[in-house]
Amino acid sequence: MSDTVTVRIPTALRPQVGDQESLEVAGGTVADVLGSLNSQYPEFGKRLYKAQGELNRFINVYVNDEDIRFMDNLATALKGGDEVSIVPAIAGG
Amino acid sequence: MSQDLERYHRQMLLPGFGETGQRRLMDAKVLVVGCGALGTVIANMLARAGVGHLVIVDRDFIEITNLQRQVLFDESDVTEGIPKAEAAKRKIAGINSQVTVEAIVDDVNHTNIEKLATGLEGVGKVDLIMDGVDNFETRYLANDVAVKHGIPYIYGGAVGTVGASYAILPHTAPPGETGDTPWEKAERATPCLRCIFEQAPPPGVNPTCDTAGVIGPAVSIVANYQVAEALKVLTGNLDAVSQTMLNIDLWANVFKQFKVARAYDVGECECCKKRNFEFLDGKFGSSTTTLCGRNAVQLNLKSADDDSSAAGNGHKLDFTEIAKRLEAHGRVTANKFMLRADITDNGEPYELTLFNDGRAIVKGTKHANVAKSIYAKYVGA
Repeated sequence: MSDTVTVRIPTALRPQVGDQESLEVAGGTVADVLGSLNSQYPEFGKRLYKAQGELNRFINVYVNDEDIRFMDNLATALKGGDEVSIVPAIAGG
Repeated sequence: MSQDLERYHRQMLLPGFGETGQRRLMDAKVLVVGCGALGTVIANMLARAGVGHLVIVDRDFIEITNLQRQVLFDESDVTEGIPKAEAAKRKIAGINSQVTVEAIVDDVNHTNIEKLATGLEGVGKVDLIMDGVDNFETRYLANDVAVKHGIPYIYGGAVGTVGASYAILPHTAPPGETGDTPWEKAERATPCLRCIFEQAPPPGVNPTCDTAGVIGPAVSIVANYQVAEALKVLTGNLDAVSQTMLNIDLWANVFKQFKVARAYDVGECECCKKRNFEFLDGKFGSSTTTLCGRNAVQLNLKSADDDSSAAGNGHKLDFTEIAKRLEAHGRVTANKFMLRADITDNGEPYELTLFNDGRAIVKGTKHANVAKSIYAKYVGA
């Protein structure tokens, strides 16, 4: 099994990561993985975080199919092959 | 089989449906909030399934760019300038004459949503609220009403090639207690929309139909998923209602079901846990709305506590008089539902639409202050 996790990027944030739908990122926790993306793509981080270490409240993060708020939040541990989905509220209709 | 049931034979064959389920549908009253891309699919399928009473509320009229995805409308509706709710009612009359439709051409806001969901004359409290909305403010209002009055509410949203849906079977009692609703007794209550998304995305942050576009299948899939959940709720198949939130991306080929059930237990939701209905109380909300899919602003000129305003009696605006005044500025057309005028102001072209309930839509700007200024100059605030 690979050491990286797959991070799924929502449409709204793809321009900030070079128009990629998903990225393979290494890291032991959700904070590590998002932090690594933040240093590589600062504009992406600006959209994701409300403040240092605090995600915007209209964006949810799921590891596989579980909400990190109901696990260890940003400290939620990851293992190789996990899928991290960044899911914003979808407003259109 | 009695004659009125024959047309529903194929769905009645399903386990858990039968004549009992069909009779429940025929007795059911559903509020469809918004009749655009999601709402037309929802209204169409609920009517075909035989839901007895539909209340369809929409503030908009039909444009040519709607026809790509809004399945109940056609070119003649665009030509005639028919409001969406009214056009939907006319189409449904030809699809299923057993269904009663109330078409309400109005903005849904904190002053009227409770009445729409619980106190409409001849309808009373609806059994279900369906989300055909294009903004989060109205969704939180629907969510507030659903939780406050114990009405199931099925969220749906779509933009671009992505979409989401989730069925809310609301908690109606304080934490630790069990409410009287069938879903609470069956231990099938679900977290509300604010448990899952505590806040709406601020304007300009998320893609809209303007910036990202939208394909018909994204909205159709989401809306039909909402309808499937609705059929489960209305026929009493509560065990089958999904406890997860659907997320799809048709371009990335991703279909996910996120687990959200713990959001109620773990979170401190203002709405369903603390029973603090901030949107319904008017704490949040605006009197202007930037419209998804168009370079336009809606002005809601209703007074929040004044039922006798232009909104109340529906016909206070004198379209003939206004048309006379506006003809000097450009093309003006009017029917009994609306007046539309092309206006060039300060070298910029705008399209002003007035509705007989006191609302206005100013096309050609995304800025509320510009829209207000246009209205004040040419109509008079």
